[in-house]
Amino acid sequence: MVTGGGVKKGAEDDSGEFAEFMADISHEIAKRVESLDPTPKGTPAVKKQATPVPDAGVIREWDNVADRMIEEMG
Amino acid sequence: MSVVNYGTREITCKIVYYGPGRSGKTTNLQHVYSQLPEERKGKMVSLATETDRTLFFDFLPLDLGTISGFATRFQLYTVPGQVYYAATRRLVLQGVDGVVFVADSQSRQLAENIESLQDLHANLADEGFDPRTLPLVMQYNKRDLPAAEISTVQELDETLNFRSVPYFAANAINGGGVFETLRSIASMVLGRLSAPASKGS
Repeated sequence: MVTGGGVKKGAEDDSGEFAEFMADISHEIAKRVESLDPTPKGTPAVKKQATPVPDAGVIREWDNVADRMIEEMG
Repeated sequence: MSVVNYGTREITCKIVYYGPGRSGKTTNLQHVYSQLPEERKGKMVSLATETDRTLFFDFLPLDLGTISGFATRFQLYTVPGQVYYAATRRLVLQGVDGVVFVADSQSRQLAENIESLQDLHANLADEGFDPRTLPLVMQYNKRDLPAAEISTVQELDETLNFRSVPYFAANAINGGGVFETLRSIASMVLGRLSAPASKGS
């Protein structure tokens, strides 16, 4: 088996050819990867609800403090 | 068919250069290899006879590095063009993602071009591919030869390109048209990359 045999080096400086190819291919891949990505996009991360900590000094059962005051006054 | 593997973060595509003997398939790969920067230069594997004709196949792994977070590899193969290597051609076609058909522009080679194209379609069908939909690009090579010896691009296209796929005039020995051809087939193949859940290689 001949490995790398007979490979001609570019007579002229065409080193830009591969760079151009890479640029085009990178763009194609980026588009494709994004369109196929199974990870759901645009879905806001679900915020973990803070666990209520029982605390007599914190009002949690009422929507607002006014409701609590009215109830206690009544 | 290739897939975007989101698990291993890999994309691998197999492209096969097909065509009659001495049409310039190996020359295409040699030019691509010659243009690779040193850090990407793997080994091009050729198995050739003493007269430099491809005996089995050529293989050029094209490691493009990490693109958009994916390790991307193109595997470029050629098939031996001579008629009696039919079994090898079928073998090389297994798992192919795209084909470059390298036609010899010489007028006297027109029959060989047609025969090779028919052979390609038969082998693709045998391997379970739909020859009408597999990404295909035509390359009309040896445009550097004297005009009296070669068919015009239009003649070649009318005779060979019945799928009306993209085609390129080339003189691969000087590098002309080689990367244009590769860019076109790579783009077509990437456009058909399937989602991870799809059946594929």
